[in-house]
Amino acid sequence: MAGLRRKWSELCRQLQAKSATTVKAGPGAGPWYPPVVASLTAKSKAAQRRRQELFHQLLEEAGSIEKKLQLYEQRQRRKFVVYPQTFALRADRSYQSFTKTAFVPGLPPASRAPVDLDLGALRSLACDALLQEYFYLRRPFAWSLNPPQPLHEAFLTQLLTSLSGQLVARNPLLAASTLDFQPQVNFYWMRGEEVVRHGHRSGRVDPVRFQIDDKPLLQIRVPKQLPKFVPLDDLVAEEIPVINHTPDKLPMFKRQYENKVFIGSKVADPCRYGHTQFHLIPERLKRKKLIQKNLAHHIEVVYRANGIASLFAWTAAQAMYQGFWSEADVTHPFVSQAVVTDGQYFAFFCYQLNTLALTVEADKNNPRKNICWGTDSKPLYEAVEENNIKGFNDEVLLQLIQFLLNRPEDVQTDRPLASA
Amino acid sequence: RGGSRRALRRARCGPGRCGRWCGGPGRPRSCRVKQALWLTKTKLMKGLPPKVLSIMDDLANQLENQDERVRNAIFHACFWATTEVVPRRKTYCPILVEDLLHLCRTMTSKFPSLSKRMLGRNYSLTATWERESVLLQVHGLNGMLLNAMNPIQPVASKDEILATENYTLETFYPISPTIDLQDVNVYEEKNDTGFREDYPYPHPHTLYFMESNNLRSYRFRPEPLQAKMLMFAFGNALAKARILYGDEPRVLEQPIVVQSIGTDGRVFQFMVFQLNTTELASNDGVKNLVWIDSDQLMYEYAQRIPSIRKKVVTVPAGIHGYDPDTFKKFLALYLHGAV
Repeated sequence: MAGLRRKWSELCRQLQAKSATTVKAGPGAGPWYPPVVASLTAKSKAAQRRRQELFHQLLEEAGSIEKKLQLYEQRQRRKFVVYPQTFALRADRSYQSFTKTAFVPGLPPASRAPVDLDLGALRSLACDALLQEYFYLRRPFAWSLNPPQPLHEAFLTQLLTSLSGQLVARNPLLAASTLDFQPQVNFYWMRGEEVVRHGHRSGRVDPVRFQIDDKPLLQIRVPKQLPKFVPLDDLVAEEIPVINHTPDKLPMFKRQYENKVFIGSKVADPCRYGHTQFHLIPERLKRKKLIQKNLAHHIEVVYRANGIASLFAWTAAQAMYQGFWSEADVTHPFVSQAVVTDGQYFAFFCYQLNTLALTVEADKNNPRKNICWGTDSKPLYEAVEENNIKGFNDEVLLQLIQFLLNRPEDVQTDRPLASA
Repeated sequence: RGGSRRALRRARCGPGRCGRWCGGPGRPRSCRVKQALWLTKTKLMKGLPPKVLSIMDDLANQLENQDERVRNAIFHACFWATTEVVPRRKTYCPILVEDLLHLCRTMTSKFPSLSKRMLGRNYSLTATWERESVLLQVHGLNGMLLNAMNPIQPVASKDEILATENYTLETFYPISPTIDLQDVNVYEEKNDTGFREDYPYPHPHTLYFMESNNLRSYRFRPEPLQAKMLMFAFGNALAKARILYGDEPRVLEQPIVVQSIGTDGRVFQFMVFQLNTTELASNDGVKNLVWIDSDQLMYEYAQRIPSIRKKVVTVPAGIHGYDPDTFKKFLALYLHGAV
């Protein structure tokens, strides 16, 4: 509040100085008075609007992105905490409405023809990674039927580090990338309105605030942005579901703590665009557990909710790192990819962020929608018995490789980057 | 279980009969390199071997914009990776090692044989040997081990190996070399590399040690860390030699080379170990060889918050005293065997 007041008095001073000069220049001018504006501190709608305008002006005039983010994150109120990996029924539909995302089944059309790959070598690499963790490495503990969670983590880390190392020759963007192991990804945003029910502010209208604190298993960040899948103002036919109940019925809970916007690295990092995230589904949401609870229809919902929420948080945070926010909407789309897996079943997601204008005022007359493409989960293998893998699925591996090979057009591939 | 009874009796014969070197926290940490050299019957050479140095000096073995990318990796680990202003060592030390390994991995496009490597995390090693009628064992977890399909060729030539016969190992009489080792009853004198026999990447290449505990007293100081690195490199090589050449003590026709790198996120220790013989009981004959390049700073210090005195910034935030040679050594050890 003190900041706002200081800003207000400074603005008044500037206005007066400006009008004084115009008065001097203008012919036949009498005494000049500052314009009559609403109070900054009163309990009125006009005053509230005035405070809002001042806040927007402060954000627009912020010198650096860090300062802007600091101002954006400054005000703490109770907010809904969105967990990307959730047990909530039909969570994917709710998450779509919170993030204004249209979900399109299937993957976007590939912009580039698939390159000829030495699939045999890559397959053997993937099999080696799988067998190393599940068979060749002697574990101090014995497991037979249910491999524990750390094993899947180790396998995925192994698979992705070796695959990305192998594919550097094909995609020079990967050579300039950064790999984050279990980074923190946060995003804070406002969407919709609600009436404050309790406390001294009861009866007032407040925006509904949301916060995602995500922790992917692994993510790849790159210094150049991936190409967009569709043009910015292209409208997809899929509708965004309208949820008629409040978010706390999902269930979701409100907490008050620091608001954070973070892509896994601070603003100074040159690798400020997302490439691909990898999420591991926790034990309690595994396929088997859900089938035991008679929730077989819910299996894909878990994957979809995770894909939508995580990708929105990451992509939107990238957009905010470029200086966009709800009042200054994005001028070009932001794109990220994600793979959600439980160690055996893999689902692939692509996200295109078309709009950050999610608050009620900014969302008026805004036809843009964020788009998420996603597939159902498919198994990479059927079973690992001793040292042979049953039913290895090349299709899933190829899709994974395709994700890793994605790059903007202007990155040269004729020569390997390292040999320059 | 005949073997078990034997070990038990040995342990009961008197203190120090069966020493065991363990890598976990709370283990003896006063051990020094000198003691480790005696326990492993090894001759110390200062600095890295000439073969590694030649890889390091070759400009063709460097990344594009190497310095800038390494600086970015350090900045990422020490400044950017979390929302905190001052990340703790527990966070930044593993991130730095992973970032540097990622940089090393991008060399795969240039040297395709680098793809025949696999990183094993959380493997458990056991190696047992007898040294002057004391039964010793290295056992435990040490972070990460890079395995390769092809072994590293011996670093020292045949003549250099034979020349070690004249070298006498340093002792520290009247102190017993096993003075601070932990006595345990071992029921099985086993040698285990931590991997099954038909593992397709059977040759240990490089061990990575991260001393990332936030509390100084729980971290290995540089010299005990070197001793630990030596013991584990030796243990890995010995377990491999027992698989290749059997349990009989002998001079190896093809010596086994294992490298290790240890760090606390700032100071790096580099080591190349060559196992020439498994005849460890006596002090005579061929010795093993180790090259140690100790206390190499990646950077002198990282200033998270600029220090300001009388409204003048005396030390700006950032990395001070960055040393490009340290990453070159890191990369040279990674490329060793593939170039």
